[in-house]
Amino acid sequence: MDRTTIENCLTALLTAGVVYAVFFIVPPAEGLGHLVRIAFFHIPVAWVSVLAFLLSAFWALKYLRTRDAVYDRQSSAAAGLGFIFCILATVSGAIFAKLTWGAYWNWDPRQTTIFILLLIYGAYLALRSSLEESEQRARVSAVYSLLSFITVPFLVFIIPRYYFSLHPAPVINGAGKLDMDRIMLYVLLAALAACTAIFWRTLTWQVDRKRRREMSDITPVKEGF
Amino acid sequence: MPDKKLPWSSSVWAVIHKDALCELRTRYAISALSMFALVTLASISMSLAGAALTPALAAVLLWVILFFCAMAGLARVFVQEQEAGTLFTLRLYAKGQAVFFGKTLFNILLLWALTLLIIPLFIVLLNFDIPLWAPLMAVLALGDAGIAAVATLTALMVARTGGKGSLFTVITFPLLLPQFLAVIAATAAIFGGTSPTFADYLFMAGYDIAMLIAASIAFDYLWYD
Repeated sequence: MDRTTIENCLTALLTAGVVYAVFFIVPPAEGLGHLVRIAFFHIPVAWVSVLAFLLSAFWALKYLRTRDAVYDRQSSAAAGLGFIFCILATVSGAIFAKLTWGAYWNWDPRQTTIFILLLIYGAYLALRSSLEESEQRARVSAVYSLLSFITVPFLVFIIPRYYFSLHPAPVINGAGKLDMDRIMLYVLLAALAACTAIFWRTLTWQVDRKRRREMSDITPVKEGF
Repeated sequence: MPDKKLPWSSSVWAVIHKDALCELRTRYAISALSMFALVTLASISMSLAGAALTPALAAVLLWVILFFCAMAGLARVFVQEQEAGTLFTLRLYAKGQAVFFGKTLFNILLLWALTLLIIPLFIVLLNFDIPLWAPLMAVLALGDAGIAAVATLTALMVARTGGKGSLFTVITFPLLLPQFLAVIAATAAIFGGTSPTFADYLFMAGYDIAMLIAASIAFDYLWYD
């Protein structure tokens, strides 16, 4: 068995374990009841959509500095996957909001942030698909990815000032304390690990697929006389 | 006459002068933008049919009009060069940074002129009184500068895609969002009779400076092949 297969098997095993724990081990939460189980899907996908954004910007910077096509493949694959995870986070968050707050959408700071992330991903992918020449596509999209990253500190500063939040504090709250049941915390950490592993495995697969496709595009066609 | 021998400020001035001259010959951008502003304002004024505007709604309307007017005209600085086939010549004659700052300054001047046209129309057509003029002018100047800085870079990206104009708004909006939220909040405060705080001005100026620096660094990656 090669390394890829082992890693895929371990990811599948971890995910299956997490799914079992979420439905059969995690106790219902005070106030939220069984709805808390959505959080074990929502928090990991939201985390991955932010991670993908950071990785995409990091690889975009590496691409601009080295002009090595491998970084462009990584950056674009991270953005593509980040977009999917971002949609999942938005939809699961909206459902969670409807069940707990009574409305799918109310421009909570977290909802606003995830929506902006969705806009950035969408714009990046639209820009990328409009460029045909591969070197130019890589360069323009890397610049866009980096520029969108620069707006993040401004958004982090401005959004909480104008929007009132109902969203619960992060896992580690402002006082630096863990405000969560032990079992829930362990399952959540495992869910984060499983989701990150799924993202990483898919990313590796996509990067490899892009590489093979690009290699086949530049393979010279044998011409017979 | 290779421009590289000219001092930097003269190159910037030459780019502004060239764009202003082209604009004065055709008067395309200013007439299209003025008509765009008039049509938008008139359609809002007609739909409102004399209904009173709250400060927050008036601020949102003003900035939405300004943003879409900017989106209708600012891409022209590079798309026109691409269509006329003069982008390559410009690259031979001027350094990237001179082109970026020249085009950005031209866009800032164009937006300021447009704003000076929109404000009286806004007051007349929407029957709206402005309580604090000086803070409003400062917020408009800072907001316009931010739009112009980002739009100049995204205009070059759009020119690279072969002038796919509809992309311009899509890729510019996410980058402008922090400034957009800040200027709308500041304008709403002004319309309500309170002056924005020093921190608000600092945020808007900080965003403009950060974007100008980031866009000028990123510009070279797009300008030189």
